[in-house]
Amino acid sequence: MEIQREMLVKISEELKSKGFNYLKFITAIDYNDHLEVIYSFYNISTNKDEMVTIKLQTDKSGKNRPELDTIIKAYPSADWFERELSEMFDIKINGRKTSRLLLENWNGTDPPMRKSFVWGREYKKEI
Amino acid sequence: MMATMRINIGPIHPSTHGVLRFVADVDGDTIKRTETHVGFLHRGVEKLIENRMYMQSPSFMEKMDYIAPLSWDDLYVNTIEKAMGVNVKETAKYARVILLEFQRVASHLLWLGTFCNDLGQMFTSFMWSFRERDRIIKLLQDVSGGRMFYVNIRITGLNRKLPDDFKDRAYSLADYIEERILAYPDVLDSNPIFMERTKGIGVISKDNAIKYGVSGPVLRASGVGYDVRKANPYYIYEKVKFNVPTETAGDAYARYRIRYYEMLESIKIIRQALDAMPEDNDVVGMPIRLIYPQPNPTPIMNNAELPRGEGIIYMVPDKTRPYRIYLRSGTYTNIAILDKITENIKYADFFAIMGSLDLVASDIDK
Repeated sequence: MEIQREMLVKISEELKSKGFNYLKFITAIDYNDHLEVIYSFYNISTNKDEMVTIKLQTDKSGKNRPELDTIIKAYPSADWFERELSEMFDIKINGRKTSRLLLENWNGTDPPMRKSFVWGREYKKEI
Repeated sequence: MMATMRINIGPIHPSTHGVLRFVADVDGDTIKRTETHVGFLHRGVEKLIENRMYMQSPSFMEKMDYIAPLSWDDLYVNTIEKAMGVNVKETAKYARVILLEFQRVASHLLWLGTFCNDLGQMFTSFMWSFRERDRIIKLLQDVSGGRMFYVNIRITGLNRKLPDDFKDRAYSLADYIEERILAYPDVLDSNPIFMERTKGIGVISKDNAIKYGVSGPVLRASGVGYDVRKANPYYIYEKVKFNVPTETAGDAYARYRIRYYEMLESIKIIRQALDAMPEDNDVVGMPIRLIYPQPNPTPIMNNAELPRGEGIIYMVPDKTRPYRIYLRSGTYTNIAILDKITENIKYADFFAIMGSLDLVASDIDK
């Protein structure tokens, strides 16, 4: 189901109370003009999947970072997924205590999994 | 009283199972808390696959988990097959399941050997498990042509016909491995040091296991009987009879028992698949460089039970290459709980806990 980003925390808590207590993954897809963030919840006792998608507008200047709220309270396993999401797609996740980068050590200007990522650029290490 | 000291554990390959780094606050030999740092093996597999044709990528997938390469390769090719809407050949389904289960046994055997090494039992288990694993690798090598990386899954089948004596060899290999595996408890379960170092160590409760989203044998050791082969059967898993072993203790010993029983269940699956496999040896799939059927552009999610937990691929297909592919491995969620279960433990137990989670750094880092 597709939802607005303000509803995320409420809907995730509702899903949890309905038995969807296992978070399988969080990821995103870059469609150039917008990002589609996908949350996959799972109900272990009934074998049912529930996909929640959120559309986030992006602009080319990169000044306005897309924002999301954290669901770490209801789903502690969201921790690493959110960190990866924030790093790879440059999404600001509100309400988190730590936001240390997970997989890479980059300067934060060119999010690697966005389609705008430039290939073949010389990598300069910052000391 | 001494103040806590901050030390690095890793990143060194043999002892931290790949290049994982942990920052631990220690007080004497008690670890107060740890912080996990990953990413030393980050290759950007997802981005690489986005920029290559579909069948150029299986070799990347094999390097995701180099201890059980066939399982990721198979999951990736199966996802493409589903997106393209093509069916896997009937005999190839059986052949794939046999190879995948042998791969699972080989992976668990390697885990068992290195886990016992972590515990300080240097040679017996290590040599035993590698002896058995080598026989499996020899069979997979003769089937595929590669020893470490097989890359033999093709769309709708395998890369070439199975050897003529495949069935006989697979039967006798299954018998041999079962006989050997049944002897393992003699050196492990009856070994007081092994028991002392694994029982009650690194306990993950059922509640925490679900909350922190661990998967695979680690989840089942905490009492949750979730196995993709049962919950969402693929290939011929509906037709074969096997159990999903579960334990309730959730400690390192329970995780060892789960993997031990899983090996025996895999042998059961292999025997049934060999019995029911058609004789025609019609397993050769589409060759590479053929123009493939156009995939359906709707996003697709595919999952499979890999040796280290549930592997998930979420793919948005495009004409010749994936527009976006997301890979989630079981180890990625399993390592995320490590900070939680390594609070206030003895330093030596850290390696027992880390070893029992069966981590592979390249699988985590992508």
